[in-house]
Amino acid sequence: MKFRFKVTPNLCIGCRTCELACAFTHQQNSKPGRSRIYPISYAPDKWVPVTCLQCDDPACVKACMFDALRRNEETGAIELDKERCVKCNACVAACPFGCALNDDVHDEVIKCDLCGGNPACAAFCPTKALEYKRIA
Amino acid sequence: MAQITINGKVVKAREGEMLLGVIKREGIDIPALCDHPAIEPTGNCRLCMVEISRAEWEGWKKYVTSCLYPVEDGLIVHTHTPELLEIRKNLIDLQLARCPESELIQKMAEDYGIHKTSYEIRPDSDNCIMCYACTRICEVLGCSAISPAMRGHDKKIAPPFDQPPPDCIGCLACAKICPTNVIKWHDEGGTRTIWDKSFEMISCKQCGKKIITKDFAAYIVEKRSLPPEYFDLCDDCKRVETARKMGEIVARVEEVAL
Repeated sequence: MKFRFKVTPNLCIGCRTCELACAFTHQQNSKPGRSRIYPISYAPDKWVPVTCLQCDDPACVKACMFDALRRNEETGAIELDKERCVKCNACVAACPFGCALNDDVHDEVIKCDLCGGNPACAAFCPTKALEYKRIA
Repeated sequence: MAQITINGKVVKAREGEMLLGVIKREGIDIPALCDHPAIEPTGNCRLCMVEISRAEWEGWKKYVTSCLYPVEDGLIVHTHTPELLEIRKNLIDLQLARCPESELIQKMAEDYGIHKTSYEIRPDSDNCIMCYACTRICEVLGCSAISPAMRGHDKKIAPPFDQPPPDCIGCLACAKICPTNVIKWHDEGGTRTIWDKSFEMISCKQCGKKIITKDFAAYIVEKRSLPPEYFDLCDDCKRVETARKMGEIVARVEEVAL
């Protein structure tokens, strides 16, 4: 992996720009998709943007019986192969962080794919709570 | 790398990969009902027929199912010759007689200009096209709960002895992969029923939302050695929990910094 997605929770102001950026980046046929990132307030005025952490030992990949989830070594993202996915929801149930989810609008299983190497949430985040950086 | 010609266009492809994949990659639209990347191709629906030939065959050609034909260097492939269209039309006509109520087959038939099948319509049709996608995906999963049963006209996909299948875990892979949506299931009040077998769903311990069956979760836990507590909550509640835990970490980091 050459890049790392960095989340700094105490910089997040809960403006939800990332959510909008995500939904519109993943639009299909001019219909915005469901967001893959959720700023959640855990205390008054304290926010955490909860999104896929692209784990080193991912439960979603282990749970997928059909080999539909694989890591993209270039971007570091675990990507879901929509063609292979049979929507059995195993990954949705298995992810301990709740970051594999169902998109009811487009009837598919979704997870953060780091926008193929240029995450829109990080680009739009006004406070740099979300950053996508090259490492080493 | 092999070099093949598809409809007159020279295309590079990996030696040994199936022709259908290359054809789809080139954006050429040919029907294929039983093809799915998660399962091995078997050529059951036969709709992905293409014409192949080679320069040294001196005009000879043959028709093959492209989902099963591996790429070799120098192949000359045609996907839309009049003969092929006639073959496909015939196949769809036969399918229409077999599955008169399937919307997908009806639409394909319309596309090929068939308004009414020229064969005798199968009485009490279940709309199954016998592509075995369901049994193959169940094999990939490692359960093999359903299989083809009987022979000839009575052939059907069924669990053993038409009884609720003991090996089924209620994952719905068979129902979701079925091109003609034949396999019926329903979720109601924490119970999922498929193949006449009832499954208890896992209820989120906080909100009660149901995602998968207990049997499926137990199967994943056993096969992939995941901690069972991963399946206790639904995705929504797990995100809230993640935020709370990350908040705790942030608070601790700030405490240390002070």
